[in-house]
Amino acid sequence: MNITLEKLDYKEAARYLGYGNHELDEASKKLMEACEKELMKKARPKSLYRVFGIQNVKEGILVEGTNLVLTGDSIRQHLKGCRKAALMAATLSDEADRLIRTFQVTDLAKAVIMDSMASVAVEQICDQTEQEIRKEMKDYYQTFRFGLGYGDLPIQLQNQFVRTLNADRTIGLHVNESYMLVPTKSVTAVIGLSKEPIKGQAKGCQTCNMRERCKFKGTGGHCNG
Amino acid sequence: MVKSFRKLLEKDYIIFDGAMGTMLQAAGMKMGEIPETLNVTNPQLLIEIHSKYLTAGADVIYANTFGANGYKLEGSGYSVEQLVKAAITNARTACEQTKPEACVALDVGPIGQLLAPAGTLSFEEAYDYYKEIVLAGQGADLVVFETMTDLLECKAAVLAAKENSNLPIVCTMSFEANMRTFTGCSVPSMALTLSGLGVDALGVNCSLGPKELEPIVAEMVQWTNKPIVMKPNAGLPDPVTNLYNCLPDEFAELMKNLRQYGIKVFGGCCGTNPDYIRKVAQMLEKEGNMVVARKTVQAAVCSATKVVTISEPRIIGERINPTGKKIFKEALLNRDMDYILGQALEQTGAGADILDVNVGLPGIDEKQMMVDTVQALQAIVDVPLQIDSTIPEVLDAALRVYNGKPIVNSVNGEDETMEKIFPLVKKYGAAVIGLTLDKDGIPVKAEERFAIAEKIMNRAMEYGIPKEDVYIDCLTLTASAEQAGVMETLEALHRVKTELGLKTVLGVSNISFGLPNRVLVNHIFLTMALTNGLDLAIINPNVYEMTGAIKAYKLLANIDQNSVDYIKTYANAPIVEKIVPGKREKAQQSNEGKESTSHVNSQNPHEEGSLEGELYHAVMKGLKNEGAQTTKELLKTKDSMDIVNGILIPALDEIGVEFEKGTLFLPQLIMSASVAQAAFEEIRKYMIQNNSAPISKGKIVIATVKGDVHDIGKNIVKVLLENYGYEVIDLGKDVPYQAVVDAIKEYDVKLVGLSALMTTTLVSMKETIELIHKNELDCKIMVGGAVLTPEYAKEIHADFYSKDAKESVDIAKRVLG
Repeated sequence: MNITLEKLDYKEAARYLGYGNHELDEASKKLMEACEKELMKKARPKSLYRVFGIQNVKEGILVEGTNLVLTGDSIRQHLKGCRKAALMAATLSDEADRLIRTFQVTDLAKAVIMDSMASVAVEQICDQTEQEIRKEMKDYYQTFRFGLGYGDLPIQLQNQFVRTLNADRTIGLHVNESYMLVPTKSVTAVIGLSKEPIKGQAKGCQTCNMRERCKFKGTGGHCNG
Repeated sequence: MVKSFRKLLEKDYIIFDGAMGTMLQAAGMKMGEIPETLNVTNPQLLIEIHSKYLTAGADVIYANTFGANGYKLEGSGYSVEQLVKAAITNARTACEQTKPEACVALDVGPIGQLLAPAGTLSFEEAYDYYKEIVLAGQGADLVVFETMTDLLECKAAVLAAKENSNLPIVCTMSFEANMRTFTGCSVPSMALTLSGLGVDALGVNCSLGPKELEPIVAEMVQWTNKPIVMKPNAGLPDPVTNLYNCLPDEFAELMKNLRQYGIKVFGGCCGTNPDYIRKVAQMLEKEGNMVVARKTVQAAVCSATKVVTISEPRIIGERINPTGKKIFKEALLNRDMDYILGQALEQTGAGADILDVNVGLPGIDEKQMMVDTVQALQAIVDVPLQIDSTIPEVLDAALRVYNGKPIVNSVNGEDETMEKIFPLVKKYGAAVIGLTLDKDGIPVKAEERFAIAEKIMNRAMEYGIPKEDVYIDCLTLTASAEQAGVMETLEALHRVKTELGLKTVLGVSNISFGLPNRVLVNHIFLTMALTNGLDLAIINPNVYEMTGAIKAYKLLANIDQNSVDYIKTYANAPIVEKIVPGKREKAQQSNEGKESTSHVNSQNPHEEGSLEGELYHAVMKGLKNEGAQTTKELLKTKDSMDIVNGILIPALDEIGVEFEKGTLFLPQLIMSASVAQAAFEEIRKYMIQNNSAPISKGKIVIATVKGDVHDIGKNIVKVLLENYGYEVIDLGKDVPYQAVVDAIKEYDVKLVGLSALMTTTLVSMKETIELIHKNELDCKIMVGGAVLTPEYAKEIHADFYSKDAKESVDIAKRVLG
């Protein structure tokens, strides 16, 4: 689906830039405003999701009607009690990459800020997509978004995941040889759907694959991701 | 029996088949499965589907080869050749059983990986994937590239087909409702570029239904004379059920409506099945097709995202050219691509519509440099490029990788030159500049230049290059030397424009060579040329009066209607009352957010009001323009090394300390670093102009490793290292292992910095380090990147782990001093 970008969260962008709880300086704030404007004008955000039945199989979680098996303990734990799951993908389009590239030549500070604003934007697209799923799957409780590469869910599944959603054709999402999503400001994730309330699934540092080298934890902060 | 698709094209209309994937899924194929494996495992299913389409009325069926490329089949256990040959055999069998006169298309979709700059796939890699499929699919009657979203990938595909087979080529791309593909390619860009490449038919498939595609096809027919292909989806899919909302009757009705645009080929894509094709066939049989005469496509060039029509005076920026520019030469020798990109963005910001690209310099590999430059430019600017070289091999290489329809600069009236260059212009579908000179030099008289122009035009047309794509340069002579020649040039220009009906181009600046107040002469001459019919002015767009002359001309000539553009440009700009050469300020300076950096309370050690104090202050506060200006002033009285060591570095040190304390943050650090960078730029200019050796505290090679495209962190490191006086050789991103080793050897460096941002690319970092060690290079290695840890850095035998850009400077100091 096509998505309209809403007001971007400056505080979140500042946190990505290492501000922690410090006040944003005027110059950076002005650059954020400029970046936000350009992203709103130029990015062509898109997302898609599909709801599948899921099954516990020996190797992991089988996405019904496909060949995709989500492997690893963390995804099994994440989807515990869920009979269905939404697979989602979102992208800010390669226009965001282009903006970042261009500013790296003309104004590196702006490029860094554009980078963080674009990261915020793609998360906000995911939030909106989650809301759509919520509307669609009214009778279900939702887990948080579990990304490929989180915990021990292998990032190597990225290709198959994108293919299963037909996301290359529908939203222009690709995977490169290092399993990076291209355009770079893109996300793929799994959301568990359960008729029962989801228990003990607080998203937290334990399941995070960044836990060893988190830049927020070091300063006593948290990414809230 | 090989059928002739080109023969089919002579018919009023042709019917292509509908969706394959939809049919396979209906038959039970799982999502995410590789559909082409069915060619071998279940040929009967494919034969049945093809037969249904043939029975429904299809003249052409697509073999089940859409994703049968080397990348997608990797690990599938099947080879491209095996699946492609099986697919064509199945399609052929269906034809023999049902409709022997039907054609079989080798159907080819996108590779599944994005090309650089968005992705990491190179143009040549893409070409090789397509070549493999084309070679495997020689048994087909035509090749179709479909569902394409990247124009450059299309170009790789079309060239692979042209250079490795004689199959007719059909190319269709997928556009969104905003009239662009996912990668931003516009309808006119697609039509201009693919027509130029000489495909047999082009059009649209997938993404939208026949109703939504109407504005897209309406636009497309304006930009090509090729037959148009329409293969829409069955409307739009429901996000939940994934079912399409347009039924066969309605689909046929909508296709009936689209005939008014002059479509040759009718078919269907996702969601369509033989019922849709049958209804379309019945509709066409009953109603017939509509023959619509097309207008001549107007003269235009394009990038993938932007078309520039030569319908009014346009500016070609001339600054990407080393002739007479020491700094540019220096940049070329050091492969300093950022400098060239900066020149490009400065010109487009000043109003350039097209950029001329000339990187010819003795001592460099011009071909490689041209390719690198074109690729770097098209990654960030959207204006079309003009490839400027006298060497056919350089032109060939650049035209190959150019994403769009460029201008070739240039041919002249010499037979030999035309013989070498016109075939390239034709093959790649470019426009070309013809200079009115020949082996006897530049004729004095206008009529002789006119005669050469006519010869060039006629010869171009013999090669199949349309007249609209030939732009004539009647050549500016220096007024101080050949005063009488000025009016000859203008007369020749006028005659070429009015009598031959060709577009005209002129390099303007030469006119004033050797005269004082050159800008005055230049912009008056430009105005005279414009009134004589000049279309393309090759100028320095950064010169206010030159760009201004064009804007004012467009206003006065009633081209800029209601003065919209003129007012937009000048309403809030300072009025330039006097033209004083050498003292012209830039008309408008964007200083977005820069004036008010709320940096720390500085411990500025310099006297208040002194130039030293001002520069220190500028760095601390992130004031780029002030920093550059003050440096310029300081250089008059102060040694450059003293400026660096006495002002810039202490200021940066203070910023660095604040950054480490956590009282000042990354954007602020970079803003300060950018001021120092601007100051360095001034110092560098000064040193080059005075022929002194540039400041260098040592050379460092840096790179983002193979497979990784995140390079912003590496670029911050680069700027900081340069701030401290190190010479940085930046290899860019996605850098092959060997290229790092080669650069260490070539530049004889003692320190290399590697960056990786993904856990998956840490492997590449490890491999790169291993290769460096294997070569026994006397070079320390520092590594950094978000996912890297000091432990891992040690494990992969890096010498240093750098937690941020600031620390990389400390490491450089330790290694290089």
